[in-house]
Amino acid sequence: MTSVLEGKGLSKWYGQVIAVNNISFNISAGVTGLLGPNGAGKSTLMKLFTGQLRPSQGEIRLFGEKIWNNYPLFHRVGFCPEQDAFYERMTGEQFLSALLSMHGFAESEVAARTEAVLEKFNLVDARNKKIAAYSKGMRQRIKMAQAMAHDPDVLVLDEPLAGMDPVVRRDTIRQVRAWGREGKCVIVSSHILHEIEAMTSTILLMHNGQVLAEGDVHQIRDLIDRHPHNIFIRCSDPRRLAEKLVGYPDVLSVRFHPDGGALTVESRKPDEFYDRLPDLMLQHDLNLEEITSPDDNLQAVFHYLVK
Amino acid sequence: MSAGHNLADGWRNVRTIAFLTLDTLFWSKKTIFVMLISLFILGLSILGRLIMSYHWIRAPFTSAQVFAALMSTAVIHFLVLFVTLFYGTALVSEEVEGKTLTYLFVRPIPKPTVMLGKYLALIWICCLLVLPTILLSYLILYIRRDMSQFLEDFRVLGIDFGIVFLAILAYGALFGLIGAWLKHSVLAGLVYAFGWEGIVSYLPGFTRKLTITHYIQSIFPHEDSASAIAMLIGQRTDALESVVTLVLLTLFLLATASLILREKEYILEQ
Repeated sequence: MTSVLEGKGLSKWYGQVIAVNNISFNISAGVTGLLGPNGAGKSTLMKLFTGQLRPSQGEIRLFGEKIWNNYPLFHRVGFCPEQDAFYERMTGEQFLSALLSMHGFAESEVAARTEAVLEKFNLVDARNKKIAAYSKGMRQRIKMAQAMAHDPDVLVLDEPLAGMDPVVRRDTIRQVRAWGREGKCVIVSSHILHEIEAMTSTILLMHNGQVLAEGDVHQIRDLIDRHPHNIFIRCSDPRRLAEKLVGYPDVLSVRFHPDGGALTVESRKPDEFYDRLPDLMLQHDLNLEEITSPDDNLQAVFHYLVK
Repeated sequence: MSAGHNLADGWRNVRTIAFLTLDTLFWSKKTIFVMLISLFILGLSILGRLIMSYHWIRAPFTSAQVFAALMSTAVIHFLVLFVTLFYGTALVSEEVEGKTLTYLFVRPIPKPTVMLGKYLALIWICCLLVLPTILLSYLILYIRRDMSQFLEDFRVLGIDFGIVFLAILAYGALFGLIGAWLKHSVLAGLVYAFGWEGIVSYLPGFTRKLTITHYIQSIFPHEDSASAIAMLIGQRTDALESVVTLVLLTLFLLATASLILREKEYILEQ
């Protein structure tokens, strides 16, 4: 797939502090999740994507062009910043129209796009309200609205779901996925990992300014297969199951759930474990009520990789 | 796209940025402070008028003299300096602190356009706060049954407006530049305004020409103490040369500020 955003040996430092440390990446159309804890360098990387910062070393290209001070390119980019900052005394409509008018649209086009985006983000009733009077969710929505009002090819969303209520959050997740399907390049950062998981399986995992892993989340899961894997099992007789499981060499430990009805097994070879489990349950006449893996989410992947 | 179309788009962007900047600039504590200075000047005008009307002191002085003294000291060397210093240094820093600069810097507009828009907002807000103060002072000091003096000096009032406007342009560009460049811009601005400008403009020799005050004093239509001191230590610069210098200086400072804005990275603290 053609690369939309490309970084080569990219570094960014602020004085003595290295925020992004010699990373290379290729981001294509579709949704890409940027993951990592606070201070991992996600926001700095997003500012480099959007031309707010200049690389200290290496290079970053968007559609094959350098980004810093390349103003015409910015028409193709929409950015939703993490910070809750606004021109507080402006109304939502004034804010959106003002920012849209900087994209060179005719006034009628600005009005039409403002109207459309207010509707899309369910802000029509609040259009004449000052932003200072907006709720946290409304502020988050208008921040998203300004990022996509000019219909950019690349959307960079820094923690876009923070503060949204569940309904708007669900709609936004759907919207992000739809943009990805439309062929836009959407880069979303979050530290709430299940949110990212709901939007995409393509991730860029960051820690201490470096990319720990890049690609499909399942491929990344393969990288960690050598690490022990936790499997939560609720069944009719957890003690009996535990007794049978501890004899297998891949099972490292078994922990009982406080309610006594479930156990968590730590296995070194999860695939073999899953293959074996149905036969074991049948042989010993055990009823399986629930099986989940606490490791089957990005939080666990992250923890494994940074260990 | 035609050059005219580009120019129209550029002007629209400048206006939009000015509109956004006014939102952060006007609604701040600075405005209250500047309004207090304006009220203080109006208070002085009222006091001058009362002294004249009720002959509280024997020294005979006219409305023109009181107005000239107010213009040269309180307005030009105090109000204009403070208003341009406070708002000029805040042009960029206010949006860095408020973290709204991001919205402007991710738009497809050159950063010099952003600087121009902000500068336009600065000029607008300074004129809005300074010119009515001058007009009100003039009315307070001159209005009486016999309006001959009022009408006679009206031309001087027009020149005063022009000079104040030029001073706002030049100081605004200077403090805008300092604000775009330095982190502790208010302190640097205060040192310049009340250190360099306040001292060097009264030194004999060429160094006086390195201050904005010198050129403003040179075109000042009133005879005042500051001008008299300047006259004692050296010639005024020719009026036309002063105006041209102030305009060119403004353009140079504005261009430098735009260049700084284009090349500098502004780190918005998380």
